[in-house]
This record gives sequence, C-alpha cells and structure tokens, in this order.
Amino acid sequence: MGIIITVTSGKGGVGKSTTTANLAVGLANLGQKVVAIDFDIGLRNLDMILGLENRIVYDVVDVMEGRCNLSQALINDKKAKSLYFLPASQTKDKDVLDREKVKKLLLGLKKSFDIVLIDSPAGIESGFEHSIFLADRALIISTPDVSSVRDADRVIGIIDAKSEKAKEGKDVEKHVIINRIKPSMVDAGNMLSTEDVLSILALPLIGVILDEEDIIGSTNMGIPIIYKEKSMAAEGYRRICKRILGEEVEFLDIHAKKGFFKKISGIFK
Amino acid sequence: MSFFDKLFGKKSTSASVAKDRLTIMLSHERVNCKLPYLNDLKNDILKVIKKYTSVSDVKITSSNNQNLDVIELEITLGKK
Repeated sequence: MGIIITVTSGKGGVGKSTTTANLAVGLANLGQKVVAIDFDIGLRNLDMILGLENRIVYDVVDVMEGRCNLSQALINDKKAKSLYFLPASQTKDKDVLDREKVKKLLLGLKKSFDIVLIDSPAGIESGFEHSIFLADRALIISTPDVSSVRDADRVIGIIDAKSEKAKEGKDVEKHVIINRIKPSMVDAGNMLSTEDVLSILALPLIGVILDEEDIIGSTNMGIPIIYKEKSMAAEGYRRICKRILGEEVEFLDIHAKKGFFKKISGIFK
Repeated sequence: MSFFDKLFGKKSTSASVAKDRLTIMLSHERVNCKLPYLNDLKNDILKVIKKYTSVSDVKITSSNNQNLDVIELEITLGKK
C-alpha cells in the first residue's frame, strides 16, 4: 500500500508543478514506483514541465468518468521508467471532480504505486479540497515573500479540517518547502530567511530550493532540473526526495559565497 | 543587525519588517480560522440585537489566553 503526498501552496505561481515534477522524477530515480497526478483541472501544466504533453490521449476526468481504463490514461515517463503521469483535464468546468470518484481513483492508485504525488491547484476551493482530503502527507510550498507565506499559513490551517485522516484522529504529516530563495538577498536583509519563514509557519522544513535561472531553461525544454548534476536547485530536490523516504540528509548550505568585507564584518556580528 | 549596520546607523531591513507584519497579521487570522462559525454567529446575534435596538453592527473578537479561548462581544448602543 502506497502513500498519497499532496503538493500545495495556497498562492499560485510559487512552483507547485515544478516541485511536483522534480520530486516525481527524483523519487522514481530512487527506485519508487510513482504516479504524478495533475489536479489543476482546466489549467493543465504538469505535462509540459515533465515534457510529456505530446503523449496525452486521456486525462484524469476521462478515467473517473469511465471513458477509458486507468492504464490507457497513465503515461509512462521516457527516462524515469518507474514514473507514471496522469494529466489534468482541460475542461472549463473545474467543479467536474466528484468526491466519491476521486476517492475511488486515489485508493486504486495507492494499491499499485508506492507514491501517489498530487499537484494541487492554487486556491482553497473544491479542487484543492479534492487534492487534499485523502492525503497522508502534505508538502506546503512557500516562496519567501509576504503573500506566499500568508497564503501558505491559511492552507496549513485548512488541511486538517478537510482531511479524512485528521477526522479519524490521525495526523497528516506536513512539511514546508521554501522555494526560490536568494541567499544574497537574505544576507542583505531584503528577503525573509528560511528561519523567518519557518518560525512564522511553525512547521518542520523538508527542503530549500535556490532560485536558479536554469530552472526556467529546464521548464522550456521539458526536462526537470533534477537531472542536472551540478545544479544547487537539483541537489535541493534530490535531498527532499531522500527525506521523504525517511533518510536523514544534511540541509544544503545556501548562504552566498562571502566576499572579503562580508567576512570581516561577519566577525563582528 | 550586525555591528557594522549599527555603526553606520542603518535602518531595520525590509525582511525584518516583512516578518513583523506577517507575524501580527497571522496571529489575527489564525484566531478567526480556529472558529469558522464566527461570522455566522455574528450575523445571528446581530439579528437578535436588531429586534430590540437600532444597532446595526456588533463587534466580535476572539482571543486565546493560555488555556482559555474567549469571544468578546461589544455592542455600542449609541451616544446619549
């Protein structure tokens, strides 16, 4: 029996789909059988980040409505052989998901996969609720800016209220991923630090992803950045994957390389 | 702030301002989040109050102090 992990954030545009894609590839590369599901109905995006947009025939709504078999809709990744992808539907009606059908689908997937990774839509409406109500774990993405942290805090407050697991008295394990951090800005005091965000959100950290220009390039190409050996962002994702699987991994030292003056002034801090 | 910042009289950073603003804002929002019925309660109370007075608004605030959750209700009846 696998587990359901939901990637969520409240605010849009903070990197949910990018994170989902990279973690899906990373976990598959660690030997897990993974299915990544895009729950952002009407605004399908995970397909392009994974580079699988040309192979879509059926989508998640087709499966739930019985228009095709699950195996017909699942797309096997080109490189990561144990990764499968279930695309969002492009229908305009975002309320098309039905709670019972979502439940049937997810419980079915849980039986045949180690990890069911759900890319939740932004917002706190029904799409978000469908993506969270069966989750065993939640990864909350926040960038270090006030709107993102505020929305993340709201989402964290709602997760337990919407979760079936919480209703049974069990905990939905929640972790924070801080995305797009710029160490030089943090050091200059112009960006909230990892510690600032964590003290506000009061949840444990599972990883920090540096803001790297290469991420845009990898999205352009449809090849998740986690494949890049030397990228710090990729290393961040790889470490999150290991932590998800229960391994204890050191956190990346993200502080900007210090110049001479900074080093001297650091002594006086 | 570092020693050098103090030495040159640098003002508090935008990050620390952001942190303070968020901390204050969220401490308010979290209380409301804990009592999702607060708005409905307010509307119901207002309906009852309106039956007897010409008051058009009531102020409800909730706070928690250690182990005690408190809802405060303030009704201003108007000036004499």
